[in-house]
Amino acid sequence: MSRRPVPTGRLRRRLTIAFILVAGIASGALALGSFLEVRQARLSDSLVAAKDEARFDLVLAQGFVQSGNIQGLLQSFQQNRLNVVLVTGQASRPSNPSFAPPIPQTLRSLVGSGKLAYQRLPSGRHDLLVIGGLIPGSKVQLYFVFSEDRIQSDLRDLRNVLLVGWGVVVVLAGLVGSLLARRTLDPVARASQAAQSIAEGLLATRLPVRGKDEFGSWATSFNEMAEALEAKIAALQEAQARERRFTSDVSHELRTPLTALVGEASLLGEHLERMPSEARRPAELLIQDVGRLRRLVDELMEISRFDAGRESIQVDSVDLMALIQAAVRARGWDQQVEISGQDVVLQSDRRRLERIVANLMGNALEHGGGRCRVSVGLNGRRAFVEVTDRGHGIPSEHLAHLFDRFYKADPSRRGSGSGLGLAIAMENARLLGGDIDVWSELGTGTRFTLLLPVMEVLPERAGDVSALPESEAR
Amino acid sequence: MLLVEDDASIREVAALGLKQAGFRVSTAVDGREGLMRALQEPADVVILDVMLPSLDGFEVCREIRKQSRVPILMLTARTDTVDVVVGLESGADDYVTKPFEMPELVARVRAVLRRSSSQPEETTVSVGGLELDPASFIATKDGRELSLTATEFRLLLEMGRRPGQVFTREMLLDRVWNYDYLGDSRLVDVAMQRLRAKVEEDPAHPKLITTVRGVGYRLERG
Repeated sequence: MSRRPVPTGRLRRRLTIAFILVAGIASGALALGSFLEVRQARLSDSLVAAKDEARFDLVLAQGFVQSGNIQGLLQSFQQNRLNVVLVTGQASRPSNPSFAPPIPQTLRSLVGSGKLAYQRLPSGRHDLLVIGGLIPGSKVQLYFVFSEDRIQSDLRDLRNVLLVGWGVVVVLAGLVGSLLARRTLDPVARASQAAQSIAEGLLATRLPVRGKDEFGSWATSFNEMAEALEAKIAALQEAQARERRFTSDVSHELRTPLTALVGEASLLGEHLERMPSEARRPAELLIQDVGRLRRLVDELMEISRFDAGRESIQVDSVDLMALIQAAVRARGWDQQVEISGQDVVLQSDRRRLERIVANLMGNALEHGGGRCRVSVGLNGRRAFVEVTDRGHGIPSEHLAHLFDRFYKADPSRRGSGSGLGLAIAMENARLLGGDIDVWSELGTGTRFTLLLPVMEVLPERAGDVSALPESEAR
Repeated sequence: MLLVEDDASIREVAALGLKQAGFRVSTAVDGREGLMRALQEPADVVILDVMLPSLDGFEVCREIRKQSRVPILMLTARTDTVDVVVGLESGADDYVTKPFEMPELVARVRAVLRRSSSQPEETTVSVGGLELDPASFIATKDGRELSLTATEFRLLLEMGRRPGQVFTREMLLDRVWNYDYLGDSRLVDVAMQRLRAKVEEDPAHPKLITTVRGVGYRLERG
């Protein structure tokens, strides 16, 4: 039994992704915001401190410059562990050659115009903050070089920690989201499968009711529905079984009085000539009608056996051509039936085949103008028996219903049949793994084609009971 | 002959038809009475209904067979069920399905009588250790007498007359049962089975009467 896979994977994925996105974006924004804030604060603090220092020291430097003691100026700063670069015109004199970055032109112009300006220069292995100004009362530019190494490295550490933390949050969110999604959607998947089971016929399927949440009440309702469905179907099946038992019982009960009638009618039939004329015709009619009743009961019993699935087949090697010829001979139809075709031998039930063929030929002779043609052959993997007549043909609206039970295309016509002949023929054909096709054209004639499998092995051996289920037979 | 049938109408019409055909008929209404009469009063044929009160038709048949080789014809309700096979296996020679017409019953009775009546002009047949004497209806295998019904005897005789030839079921139906229409080949199969059980050393692997697949049966020359 194949099952359609239940597609809840998509919903689960979507839920998990949404969870991850929300957590990721929220925490990411938070982390980013915090980082930027901290960075801004640290750098700003650094700048403010540098500015203050610069202003103070520029005033101090004024004295040195007025006295022309450049060297002393540099030394003084050096002693105070301040790195400076003195710029006059194009010449620059650093106090500490290891902290003497080239001053960019833009900065020089700004400082030259009398402003206190700064710029951050990443120089090799150091992060430098260079802030400079004009020494008051001169054209000498003094640049202070501060190292922001520590700040930057602290910021980098912070950044790494935040990144790792964000990663952890995202992963956690993914796990939690996926778990939650599964816990939530699992009942849905189970319910889906339960519904599918019921659709496939396992009417006893029920959902376990766990917890008092929405799913609990859903499961309870589902179970109630399944219960009702199961009960209804059981009732219907019981009704159908009763009906079939009744039909079978009735036909069975009819057997005994029918046997008596048939026996009595046959005895009567032997003495018809000796009867007074008033009695003879009624006796003839009686005999005829007993015959019809007998055929009807026989066919009713047969159909009810098909319904009960109690029909068995006896498989044997059958020579189709020989079987048809024997059937024709036995019924005295030699002059009316023309047989042609190739010799085909197949494994099938001889008796049933004979019945189908006899029925088709009988119909052809009775309704098709008294003569018919039968041809036998092989068509790929199937053997066929075609019974063709040149009768009036059957209107197309009847063709679809021909094999229905008790269907008579012309209700006014008093045929010898009960209306079950073709239905039984079709049941027999299906039992043998075959089919019957019909073609007809008004004014031209009718052709019935019996198709039988040749290569298939019919599973029931001689003597076994139980018919082939419909699906296998087709 | 003896007619054992529980339904009054069927019993009366069948008895009437058989009497009109020239037979002397005595009747019984249930299994027990039927068995009693069959064993106590000599009859040429016993016609036995399958569904009988007090004692089942098959049982009666089996009990009669224990003591007599009288030809038994069974009246069964259906052809497609196990009734036929069980009936034949219980020892019946033939069966007639209900409903039946009187001429049909009479014809079958006559056929079964013909089978069981001895024809003195027929000669003894010996083949492969078997000795079949149609005059006395005695069959022996390697000197030992076989207890065969009339039908089984006739079957063996037909095949024994032409050892090595293959007989189809239709041929056997025609020759032994005198049917010239497409009868039920199950008759032949079951009778053959019963025959093998009595004649063969190992009925599961028959050496004397072999099956020719898709065709029929053959009596080996031995």
